[in-house]
Amino acid sequence: NMENLQQTSRNLLVCDQSSLRHRKCRLSQQVQQHHFNHQVSLLLPECGSAPPPLDAALRSFSSSYLLRKLPLHELLDTHFLQDAVYQGSVYGLSYRSRIDEDTCVALLPSGQLVLSLDKDVYERLGVEGKPSRFNQRANSRYVVTVNLTDSSMAPGGRGYQRLLTGLKSRVQLQTDFLLSHHPGGGEALKALLSRYDWTEHRPQVSSRLLTNLPCPTPLTSDLPSCDPHSFLEWLGAVEAEVSCDNESTSFLSTLVCPEPRAVLSRALRVRVSGLLLPQDVYRLIEELRRCWDGRGTASWAALTVQGFADSPVSWGSREHGFLKGGENFYSLLLCSDHSYWLCMGTGAHDGCPP
Amino acid sequence: MRAVGGEQEPAAFERTVLRNASPYHYLKVYLQLESATTRLCAVELKQLIVSGLSSLFGEVGAALPFDLLKYDEEALTGILRVHSRGLVKLWSSLTLLGSYQNEACAFRVLQVSPFLLALSGNSRDL
Repeated sequence: NMENLQQTSRNLLVCDQSSLRHRKCRLSQQVQQHHFNHQVSLLLPECGSAPPPLDAALRSFSSSYLLRKLPLHELLDTHFLQDAVYQGSVYGLSYRSRIDEDTCVALLPSGQLVLSLDKDVYERLGVEGKPSRFNQRANSRYVVTVNLTDSSMAPGGRGYQRLLTGLKSRVQLQTDFLLSHHPGGGEALKALLSRYDWTEHRPQVSSRLLTNLPCPTPLTSDLPSCDPHSFLEWLGAVEAEVSCDNESTSFLSTLVCPEPRAVLSRALRVRVSGLLLPQDVYRLIEELRRCWDGRGTASWAALTVQGFADSPVSWGSREHGFLKGGENFYSLLLCSDHSYWLCMGTGAHDGCPP
Repeated sequence: MRAVGGEQEPAAFERTVLRNASPYHYLKVYLQLESATTRLCAVELKQLIVSGLSSLFGEVGAALPFDLLKYDEEALTGILRVHSRGLVKLWSSLTLLGSYQNEACAFRVLQVSPFLLALSGNSRDL
């Protein structure tokens, strides 16, 4: 059937157009809820180097710690609960395990522990969960969510004992695990780090100066002049270093920058990668805003934040899956008059962004 | 939803939800060749893919428009763009393409997304 051949899996793009000064502005929550980010990229037009405070914000993303072969029952260790989970926000994610085939684990700042398991492991674990939203027909994957800050999950409690026995003796799950803590950093994780093989992962920062960059115009508060998908395609081309310098009749590529367009003589792209905390992302946005305050210049900046494809959650505790790409990201176009345009994109196995 | 702007509210709040509206899909592909010394230029790579489309879907298939947005001749990796309704055809012909000038070859599809932005980083490589 030729009709079926033309169909693709679901994708969703949610765009908010507002201002940081608007009473309904939820940007802070939207950023904070996207827990597991692996890449942040900032595009600054007509700029050769980032202003010092902004540069400092880009270079001060928190480190994360990679623990090798961590038995998952260690996440229920009383010292770890007291020093890390009950204090501040802990971010943990299984490293290099694939959500479409392996066990994936996330520890959220809310204290929720999310285990995405295949049917076999789930049944052996013996803790109640739910079938994954995304393969209900096969029921081959289950999600177990427990809140470690709940009273029933306090050490010694019934729920706690059940999960501990499950992880310790029934399935003995272990995984490489990325951990980060806000605001405690490595200090809050000390007890756990002292017992396992670990390495510190400092976020990698790289920048690139782009010249003669075609750009849709105008990028102002009523913006942008083109539709969201065209704008994101252009931004994606800048990020992936794809040339838009083509003709509609070119053999290799017909990709062009949306009209109307202008050419930026230069633009700076700074990219940070690692396990990046939402707090640090929001601090960067605040810093951008501060850089413009007091200066009357009309300008904009584009910030793209990409989530881990194999995280069991995307925004908040919304279940996330892979299917074809596992994409979950947002792009923020922020203008110097505080107006912004936030585009949140997801693939097929994802809930609606907040 | 639109709020009327005033002194306190400098702009409106507007939300747009676009479902399955991406006009294109993007694929990051790697061409695996039997011999490590074989090299293809961008034009040859595009012609190879067109030949794959035509052998699977005939003349109509060969006319399926797609773009080779970027190509790294050394690494033999590239980014393709295709209209969303052509994705399945392009992907299936890449899968079934098995030879280049009598040499065995295979396309590995590394990443697929309705968003080009998603191809600028892969958390599986972190």
